[in-house]
Amino acid sequence: MSDTSTTLARVLRPDAAPRQRRHNVALLLSVGWLILVIASAVLAPWLGFLDDPHRPLAGPPEEGPSWSNWFGTDQLGRDMFARSVWGGRLSLSIAGPAVGIGIVVGGLLGVVAGYFGKWIDLGISSVVNVALALPALVFALFIVTMLGQSYLNVTIAVTILTIPAIARIARAQALRFADREFVTVADMMGARWPRLLFREVLPNVVPALASIAFLAMGIVIIAEGSLSFIGVSVGSPSITWGNILSSGKGRLEDAPHIALITGGVMFVTLMALNFVGDEMLRRLDVREARI
Amino acid sequence: MLRFFGMRLTQLALVVLAVTLLFYWMLNLLPGNPCVAAFGGAATEEQIAECERDRNLDDPVIVQWAKWGGDVLTGDFGKSYLTGRSFGEALNTALPRTLLLLAYSQILALGAAIPLGLWSGYKQNSVGDKIASGGAFALLSTPVFVLGLVLILVFAVRLDWFDLSGYQPISEGLVSHFKVMFLPSITLAAGLLPIYLRLLRTDVIGTLQEDFVGTARAKGLPVRHVLIRHVLRPSSFTLLTIFGIQAAQAVNGAIVVEFLFDLDGVGSLLVSWVAAREFLLVQTLVALIAAVFVTVTTLVDLIYSVLDPRVRRK
Repeated sequence: MSDTSTTLARVLRPDAAPRQRRHNVALLLSVGWLILVIASAVLAPWLGFLDDPHRPLAGPPEEGPSWSNWFGTDQLGRDMFARSVWGGRLSLSIAGPAVGIGIVVGGLLGVVAGYFGKWIDLGISSVVNVALALPALVFALFIVTMLGQSYLNVTIAVTILTIPAIARIARAQALRFADREFVTVADMMGARWPRLLFREVLPNVVPALASIAFLAMGIVIIAEGSLSFIGVSVGSPSITWGNILSSGKGRLEDAPHIALITGGVMFVTLMALNFVGDEMLRRLDVREARI
Repeated sequence: MLRFFGMRLTQLALVVLAVTLLFYWMLNLLPGNPCVAAFGGAATEEQIAECERDRNLDDPVIVQWAKWGGDVLTGDFGKSYLTGRSFGEALNTALPRTLLLLAYSQILALGAAIPLGLWSGYKQNSVGDKIASGGAFALLSTPVFVLGLVLILVFAVRLDWFDLSGYQPISEGLVSHFKVMFLPSITLAAGLLPIYLRLLRTDVIGTLQEDFVGTARAKGLPVRHVLIRHVLRPSSFTLLTIFGIQAAQAVNGAIVVEFLFDLDGVGSLLVSWVAAREFLLVQTLVALIAAVFVTVTTLVDLIYSVLDPRVRRK
């Protein structure tokens, strides 16, 4: 059973080999970037130096990066740095709750399926497997079209998409621990199923779920980005990374910085999320956890 | 064997019925009846009346769905009540484009992943392997639309090697066809490549530990021969499974890629119908896509069970 401090100690091993140290540097850079992105997204309305992302002619239109407009300006002369930050704010405010709910619901479904097995597992697993076989974007598109393009509906659509994938991983982890000695011992000592499930099995699945949260976050950001890129996410004038890129698409010839810089910010953010997720999986020995 | 096949096929039929019913029923969640809700005032009285008649709105939902299913099975996919264009007609032009795009990108992805995966697993932890793994990691973190934009900027806008003029059929000449299809296929393949590469590499590393590989090497067979004939073969199972799972992923990418490159395939059709509020057509298309995918997954499962009898016993 893992408590928080030993988990942290295992993630940030101080006595590391050179290769490990190189990974530590990359991990710190990734975490640093994520903190920067999250902090600027959360604090965007209160950052004094940040321009109003909707104000036209904050600089000459379609200018490359300059001292007054760090990321340049778009077709209407709006400040691209402010737009990137506000775009990230919306993307993260969709991805955050989506992954949070996805982890709780998907995690519980998976653990219940893996722990109880039999027909409960059969029921949950069949639904999960069918859901995983379907092209997710098509269904997100369908849900958003049916319900309407709003923040809530986009969040609902992408949340539904995360649940099956997370449930599958949680189930595999729960299966691995359901028959371990300490669970059997607790069972023989007369513990009832809620205790076995929540106190013995679930804590062992948490490290996997925590790592998966980072990877899922990346997937949701891409999913929402795809939706807004094809024009089916939260409607304008809302700013998302996807719709900035969509508007940059037609301006590649004259103002490539609009698409390139926003694409770059997205790429670095996704790299950081994937790197942190992968490293956590590796350092918490999630894959090698079987005995 | 027969029993297993029968079981899987019954399961498939049930899932297809359940999934299409789910999507059929979802339209009824909209306020008003589906015909009125779909057009949002854009259609005339007669068009709505025609739609209501075609959709059998007086029947219970499950009967409506059964009748709709019967129509679809007999090849009547409905039509746009706004433009009069039939679903089948639209799909006829769009489907070949999407299928070609998917086929090209799978060929490119597998064509690159198989040699790279074999080599990177064989030369584990070499500089080349690290570059390949790092590249795969970077590609996994690149959304399709970002990569596509970069490729357009470099190869179409700056270097002017490829056309962005929209789809060109093969009958118009192979050169112009590939000039249009190359960048979209590469973009889509780039999303699939890292997943194939990672799995194949892990598989290869595992297989290389096996005794039969040592025996083959000890017999003096050349490395290339051992890798292709002895190491790749057991991995074909993994590749087949992943191919089934990734098919869905590929369609996600195809929607974005078609939109990005103006290819007017099935994905573009879906997006334009969504924009035009042609909900009835969207629903038919989504239900069909769902049915196709559930079928593909089952078929992959069945092929798998023929190749590897152990699967059937589970």
